[in-house]
Amino acid sequence: MPLLDIRNLTIELDTPHGRVKALERVSLTINAAEIHGLVGESGSGRSLLARAILGIPGHNWSITADRMMWDGRNLLEMSSKQRRNLMGSEISMIFQDPSSSLDPVISVGAQLIESMPAHKQTPFWRRTKKKKQTAEKWLHKVGIKNTERVMSSYAWELSEGECQKVMIAMAVANQPRLLIADEPTNSMEIQTQAQIFRLLSKLNQLQGVSILLISHELETLSMWCDQLSVMYCGQIMESGPTSEIVAQPYHPYTKALLDNIPNYSGEMNHKSIMPTLRGSAPALQHLPIGCRLGPRCPEAQKKCVNKPNLCHKKNRYFACHFPYHEEQCNDESTASS
Amino acid sequence: MVRYLLRRLNLFLATSLVLFIVLFIVTNQFPVEQRFALTGIQSPNAQQIAQIETDFNLNSGVFNQFIAYLQQRLSGNLGISATSQRPVADELASVLPATFELAAVSGTLALMFGLPLGILASLSRHKVTQHTIMAITLTGYSIPVFWLGLTLSLWFGVELGWLPISGRLNLLYEIEPVTGFMLVDTLLSTSPYSTSAFFDAVLHIILPAITLAVLPFTVVVRITRSAMMTIMDQTYIKAAEARGLHTSRIVLRHALPNAVIPVIKSLGLMLGSFASYAMVVEVIFAWPGIGSWLVAGIYQRDYTVIQGGVLAVALIIIFLSIMIEVLHTSINPLSRKELYASN
Repeated sequence: MPLLDIRNLTIELDTPHGRVKALERVSLTINAAEIHGLVGESGSGRSLLARAILGIPGHNWSITADRMMWDGRNLLEMSSKQRRNLMGSEISMIFQDPSSSLDPVISVGAQLIESMPAHKQTPFWRRTKKKKQTAEKWLHKVGIKNTERVMSSYAWELSEGECQKVMIAMAVANQPRLLIADEPTNSMEIQTQAQIFRLLSKLNQLQGVSILLISHELETLSMWCDQLSVMYCGQIMESGPTSEIVAQPYHPYTKALLDNIPNYSGEMNHKSIMPTLRGSAPALQHLPIGCRLGPRCPEAQKKCVNKPNLCHKKNRYFACHFPYHEEQCNDESTASS
Repeated sequence: MVRYLLRRLNLFLATSLVLFIVLFIVTNQFPVEQRFALTGIQSPNAQQIAQIETDFNLNSGVFNQFIAYLQQRLSGNLGISATSQRPVADELASVLPATFELAAVSGTLALMFGLPLGILASLSRHKVTQHTIMAITLTGYSIPVFWLGLTLSLWFGVELGWLPISGRLNLLYEIEPVTGFMLVDTLLSTSPYSTSAFFDAVLHIILPAITLAVLPFTVVVRITRSAMMTIMDQTYIKAAEARGLHTSRIVLRHALPNAVIPVIKSLGLMLGSFASYAMVVEVIFAWPGIGSWLVAGIYQRDYTVIQGGVLAVALIIIFLSIMIEVLHTSINPLSRKELYASN
């Protein structure tokens, strides 16, 4: 049984221009103890998906899904209190914007101590001290050496990287089963990025934490993830084991992403044009119907105005009418038209 | 931080100096003899005239006169009241505690009810509740205080007869002033009827305190609500939810300290209008505070009382607004960030 199983999740946002389907029929399966990468451009709805999984929707969202199962329990049927109990203890999240995810008027240490797991065995008068020790231990683990200084300062006195490490310490301290990392290494230097990724993969290997790693860097993701899902404009384009996707992409978008990874071998001529997919991602108010890649897709034909269904081939999933795959996937194509 | 406090002290001294200059100029413009305006002695004898002239350096230039004026005023010589013939400083000392008592009680009332109601208004999902609270606060904000005071005393004091409508204490009780705060003095008093005197003082303060509290209360509700609405959408609140914290803990520990900051700022801005409202309320309820004393002094053309009252009120407002700014800085670490940058 997969740890997290989402089928056809749709998130609609109420905007001044009417209702917009920011996420359209997204399916995602995360097995226990795997690192699942979610790659997509900014604005493709990755963070919306992460927040929907965790259960902290915005006030203008409406979420519908065929099913959303967490470890055999239906997330959609849970009360908000039950969801809140899951948060932090079983599912935690590292936010994209670390310095604004920390309360500006309380010191970092107080917030860190607050989110440490409670020790039920310790008598209550020693719990705070114990929590402080745990907090310091976790700060060490995420690579902060000067714990005293970090804990006594406010969020805005720390660098983004330090804030991110504090957020990671908060997220992993409760030893969740699923860690959603939304661009965890955004705004960090390469050295720290590698450190953070090593920490995450160590958590995954030693404690069996499943990780949903969200990023826009396909290269980094392909280095660390077992499974990969590619998202474009709120639709899942392709998902499957990383090695297979990198070796043989089925979807035109994945192929374009892989082909357009800049190559640093120096073979490119000076001032030659970088290969990119033509056009740009559409704004939320002007989404194309059917497959949203349609207007930019090199393979697009008339049929693409109907949304292709997610097609299952061995352990690969892809949503395309014209995939780079010998046999056509036709198991559900009639239903969609 | 020390540097910041020194700068605030400097601001206080500079503003007070300007205040003294204005008072000095105005005193010389009063349509009475300068000696009377300065001291309040109606018909001084020759010895007193000589004394006044040396005290206030009246025979030298304006600058030296101002220095002498400053020396006299700062050493506590505010002259004597023309009507009561008592020193103005003594009268001030007897009326100030009454005003402080009234202001403290109504300020506490406003915060005690305003903050929770503002939080409730921001958290409630029902449009009806939200609009009701907003309508009530808007009404309270726009009611003129003199009308409200009169109506309250008419209803609860005269027609229903539940509460006394004037003064601080029933004349039956004789309480020795220790602190000047009637609520404290009645408790400190050793007389056998001190408990009943205390309840009488409480009954007396209810109507004026409620009348005065309406304006700050509505402001506190509205500002708390709008601050809470913005803060509850911030990323750090979402992050706190994502850590699985309880809602009450998020509100009390993370949202409220952030929301109190703009509330304190607006309280500081409201201080001036709060003081003038307090004067009106004191006059309506015959509360023996600085407001009614000053208004009576104005009616009686008691120039020393006017000077002393204006000086005291202005100094208190300057001092309190600077104190509120210091408090704002001390509870808001974010403003210290700007402080570091400016130094």
